[in-house]
Amino acid sequence: MLEYALLAGLLFGLYYSLVGLGLNLIFGVMRIVNLAHGDFLMLGAFAAFWLFNLFGTNPLVSVLAVLAVFALLGLPLYYLFVPRLLAAKDPEMLSIILFFGLSQVIEALTTIAFGTSERSIPGNVLGSGPVRFLGQSFPIAWVVSGMASGLAVLGVYLYLYRTRLGYLTRAVMVHREEAVATGIDVHRVSAIAFGVGLALAATAGVFAPFMLGSVTPAMGVDINITSFAVIVVGSLGNPLGSVLGGIVYGISLMFMQSYFSSWANLLPYLLLIGILLVRPSGLLGRQVRRA
Amino acid sequence: MIRNLAFGVFVGSFVAITCAARAADAPAEIKLGTLYASSGNFASISMPVHYGLKLWAEAKNAEGGVFVKAFNKKIPVKLVEYDDQSNTATAATLYNQLITQDKVDILISDSGSVLTSVAVPIARDHKMLLIDQTGTGANFFTKDNPYIALMSDPVSSIWPKYVADFLTKDGPALGIKRIAILYSTNDFTGTQATAVRTFIKASGAPVEIVYDQGVPTNTTSYNVTINNIMAVNPDAVVELGYPNNDISFLRNLQDSGTKFKWLFAIYPGLETELLVKNVGAKGLEHVFSYVPSSAIEYKPELGMSLADFHAAWEKKYADAKVEFGFNSVAGYTTGLVLEAALGAAASLDQLELRKAIFGLSGKLKTLDGTFELDEMGAQIGEITPLGQLESDGKDGVKFVVVYPHDMATGKPVYPAK
Repeated sequence: MLEYALLAGLLFGLYYSLVGLGLNLIFGVMRIVNLAHGDFLMLGAFAAFWLFNLFGTNPLVSVLAVLAVFALLGLPLYYLFVPRLLAAKDPEMLSIILFFGLSQVIEALTTIAFGTSERSIPGNVLGSGPVRFLGQSFPIAWVVSGMASGLAVLGVYLYLYRTRLGYLTRAVMVHREEAVATGIDVHRVSAIAFGVGLALAATAGVFAPFMLGSVTPAMGVDINITSFAVIVVGSLGNPLGSVLGGIVYGISLMFMQSYFSSWANLLPYLLLIGILLVRPSGLLGRQVRRA
Repeated sequence: MIRNLAFGVFVGSFVAITCAARAADAPAEIKLGTLYASSGNFASISMPVHYGLKLWAEAKNAEGGVFVKAFNKKIPVKLVEYDDQSNTATAATLYNQLITQDKVDILISDSGSVLTSVAVPIARDHKMLLIDQTGTGANFFTKDNPYIALMSDPVSSIWPKYVADFLTKDGPALGIKRIAILYSTNDFTGTQATAVRTFIKASGAPVEIVYDQGVPTNTTSYNVTINNIMAVNPDAVVELGYPNNDISFLRNLQDSGTKFKWLFAIYPGLETELLVKNVGAKGLEHVFSYVPSSAIEYKPELGMSLADFHAAWEKKYADAKVEFGFNSVAGYTTGLVLEAALGAAASLDQLELRKAIFGLSGKLKTLDGTFELDEMGAQIGEITPLGQLESDGKDGVKFVVVYPHDMATGKPVYPAK
C-alpha cells in the first residue's frame, strides 16, 4: 500500500508539475495571476478529445498541435490584456478580476459549444496493458502522461537556462524595470512567456482525460485550486519550483487517499495553510525565485 | 312545474356563471419556478432532468396548456428558470428569488440531493411545496415538514435494497463472502452506503464488510483506492458515486488491468449512454447496476411511451450535448405528476397541491413505474431492480435483470472474467 501510494504519487506529481508550470511561469515573468489557467487546460483537453474523435489523432500527436496553437494564441491575448494590466496601479489584483472574467467566458462558451457532459479518450490509445514497476502495476496512460510531463518540464528548463530567450526571460523575472533599462524588449519576451504558459496548460489538458478520468467545461476551477497549491508549495514565481510542488502534492494526495480518503479534497488547502505558516516563500524559496 | 323549471334555470345559470367567473379569474399562465446547473459538478445530472421537464412543458403548451381543475380550463405553463451553476449558495439565493420576487405558483428543485438540500428549508420557511425532482437524500423527509414531495426517484435509503438482498441472499451461494463498499461523501451516495451497510448487517447472512471508505465527490483518480480494495481481497465491490466518480473509477479499473469478481456502480445503469461514451462497452461488461426506467418499459398510464419519449428527445435534442437516460425520464416524470396533480387540485394553494399529489400515490403509473409516496413525501413506489450489463454484440451494452427473481431476465455472471 505504502509503496504503491509513493510511486503513484510520483507519477501524479510529475503531471501536477506540468499543471502548475504554466501558471507559475506567467506569474514569474509578469507578476499577474492567470485565473483562466484551468480553463486553458480544459480547452487543451477538449482539443485532444475532438482531434481523437474526429480524426483519430493520437494524443501524443495532438500535444504538438496544441502546443503550437496555444503558444500562438498567447501572443494576441498578451497584447490585448497584459500591457494594460501592467500599466495599472495594482496589476496583480486587477489580473485576478480580469482573468476570472475570461475564465467565466471560456467556460460558458465551451458549455454552449460542447454541452456539460463528461468526455474522455480511451486509455489504451497511449498503449495497452498496465506497466509493472518495482513490483507494482500502473496504467500505461499514467506512465506515458508522467513521462510527457517530465519532458515538458525539461523543455521549460532548457528554454529558461539554455537559450538566449530564456536568459532574457529570467532577466525580466528578476526585475522588469531594470530589464527595460538594459534595452530588453520586455513585451516581446513576456508575450512569448505568456504563450508558453498557455501552451503548457493546454498540454497538461491533453493528458487530463487519462489522469483525471474525464473532462468537462467546468473543470477549470478545481484545476486552478490545485495549481495554486502546487506553485505556492514549490515557490510562487519560480517555474521550476512547480516540479517540487507538484511532486509534494502528488505524493500527499495519494497518501491522503490511502489513509484519510474522506478528507482528500482538503489537501490543497492544508498544504497552502501549512506552507504559508512554515515557509511562506515556498520550498524552493528565494534563491531560484530570483533566478 | 313552472317552479321546478325556474329552479333548474336558476341552478344552471348559477353553475354557468360560477364556472365563467372561475375561468375569468384564471391566470394567463401557471408559473413553474425551477433551477438547473449548466456548469459545475452537477451539470451532467441536472441538464437531462431540466431538459426532460422542458420537453414536457413545451409538449403541453403545444396542446394549449395543462388542464387546471381549479379553473376548469387549460392554462399554459411557464418555466421560470435560473442557472445555479452547481453552486449551493447561488441556488439558495435563486430559490428565494423564485418564491419572493417571481412569485411562482409551483417551486421545483434542481436535480440531485446536493442542490435540493438548500431548497428544503427555504421551501418550508415560505410554506411552498417543494416539488423535489431527484433529490433523494433520506434526511429531506421528516414528519414535521409537509412541504416536500419526491417525484421521480426513490428515496436513497431504498435504492440499494435489491443490491443488498442479492448479496446477502444469492451471494453466499455464489461464493460472495467479503464485501467492499466505496462511496462518495454526499447525501445521495452517502445515504445509499448507509443503507447497504444496514441491510447487510441486518440480514444475518454469512457475509462481512471488509472495506468501507468514503471519498470526496470531486475525486478523479482511483488507482490507489483500487489497489487498497484489492489488498483486502473482496468477493464483491459496491462503488457508489456520481457520474464523474463512476467514470474515473471504471476507467482506472480498466487501465490498471484490475478485475473485481463482482462490481456494482450506480451510473452505468442510470446514464448508460454517457458511460459507454466515456468508459467504452468493454469497460462496462459484467458490471452490475440499477436497471433504470429508461431501460424498462413500465407501461405508463399518462404521457408518452418510453419509445415515443426517446424519439421525441432525440428529435428535440439532436445535437447530443445532453444524453438520453434515467435523468431525462425523471424530468419528464416530474411534469407528468404535476399535470395529474393540477388536474385534481381544488386550488393552487400549496397544501391543496400537496393533497392532490399525495392523492395520486399508488394510483399513477409513469415511465418511472408506480408513483407512490410515504407519509413524509419520500418516493417509495419506483423500484430499482439489479441488472448486469453485457455486451450487445455491437459496440454497446444491454441489461440482464438478475434481481428480484420475478423480474429476472437472466442469470448473473459470477465471477466476472
